[in-house]
Amino acid sequence: MILAAENVAYSYDGEGVIEGVSLEVDPGEVLAIVGPSGTGKTTLLRVLALFDPPEEGTVLADGEDVWARSEERRLPIRRRIGMVFQDRSLFSTSAARNAAYGLFVRRSWDERLRSSLAAFLGRDGSPDGAYDALETVGLAEKADQHAGSLSAGEAQRVAFARALATEPDILLLDEFTSNLDPRNTAVLETAIDRARDRGIGVAMATHDMQQARRIADRTAVLLDGTCIECGRTERVFENPRDERARKFIAGELVY
Amino acid sequence: MVGIFGDLNTQYVISTAIVSLYVSTAAVGLSTLASLPIALAIGFSDFRGKNAVTTVINTGMGFPSVVVGLVVLLFLSNAGPFGSLGLLFTPKAMIISQFVLATPVIMSVSLSAVEGVDQRIRDAAFAAGGTSRDVGLVVVKEARYGIVTAILAGYGRAISEVGSVLVVGGNIAFADGTAFTRTLTTAVTLEARQGRYEVGIALGAVLLVLVLGVNAIGSWARRRGGGT
Repeated sequence: MILAAENVAYSYDGEGVIEGVSLEVDPGEVLAIVGPSGTGKTTLLRVLALFDPPEEGTVLADGEDVWARSEERRLPIRRRIGMVFQDRSLFSTSAARNAAYGLFVRRSWDERLRSSLAAFLGRDGSPDGAYDALETVGLAEKADQHAGSLSAGEAQRVAFARALATEPDILLLDEFTSNLDPRNTAVLETAIDRARDRGIGVAMATHDMQQARRIADRTAVLLDGTCIECGRTERVFENPRDERARKFIAGELVY
Repeated sequence: MVGIFGDLNTQYVISTAIVSLYVSTAAVGLSTLASLPIALAIGFSDFRGKNAVTTVINTGMGFPSVVVGLVVLLFLSNAGPFGSLGLLFTPKAMIISQFVLATPVIMSVSLSAVEGVDQRIRDAAFAAGGTSRDVGLVVVKEARYGIVTAILAGYGRAISEVGSVLVVGGNIAFADGTAFTRTLTTAVTLEARQGRYEVGIALGAVLLVLVLGVNAIGSWARRRGGGT
């Protein structure tokens, strides 16, 4: 699936956060969205994740306006998109059941009831895909551990596994390694590489310019809620067309 | 029971305990069914006057039980709007009054628990493909400790109160000594008034054991309900 924002605008309490932003997430590519804090990166990802409709513009899935669909018909598209947030967002249960959540909500109510009963009785009941996803982030051996007892890095890896377990077409990552040590960051970057190899399109908001340069195929620079530069990562970093983008990348733009 | 509680009638104690358990369990069960959806609806929405609504619910936790009993009495008395139902001085009237007393407690504590669930948890459930019903279930599961505490607090309020059940129930026992609308609390009041302190203490001890048992079940449920 190709996910695209077309001229989208969004505001909070009447204050515009993003305006006229257009970009596209293609299968098998990593798109980095960089920019200073408060420039609308998270808002843009939330619009792409279909949390809320944009106030202006459209979100397109394979060229179709997603918000023209009813909520019921939008759900299958939403379920082809995974998202990982910046901070701890795990449910207070085991790592395996966290990783299995996306698979769990896709099951029939009958299966869900049986799975919940199994958990209540102390048996597992998590689908196999959850273990595969935990394996991808190197945490299969901690599957039964409670989320509260995981380190911040491990918790973020489980959150990544939860998004990956449903085999999404698109993965949206919001500053997902900003609080992690180099080792956990490396594990997740490797997982992103693998996701790209499997044809998953990845859009990641990041402050870390080196990270964008390391793993992104394309980079978009967001400034004051507008996309001022977007293109192949090498070109954006080495030969930015927009002067403000050049200054931001060079660290000369003070916010 | 023998010894210092030598003249205590076992049948009397058991029937009184059964009335207490029946009335309080029914009232708290019904109150939970009514309170939880309302707490969830308020917790999930943002509307004008939400603070005022929350304040009214919180104020309800302090309703004096005799006043509640009096109001229920007025509604259920022959001259009242529901007098024709013939509920006054029956266990059903006691259930109604305990329902009124327990509901603000269960609703208020549940609302706090629901509102205490981090927005990021809701977002994570939504982003993982959850429908609004799935997100609601996740919030209930995340707030489960608070919700069980709310139910236990409501149960504590219901089973330990004496004023309203005395007013609307009448503390009635049959001729053979078995309880009809007599609960452990109203029985303790009666025994103390008649100077039979040892019987009152025995009934109080039974009440404490029951409350302890209910709390133990609640703690067990909290420990077991670990899945999402």
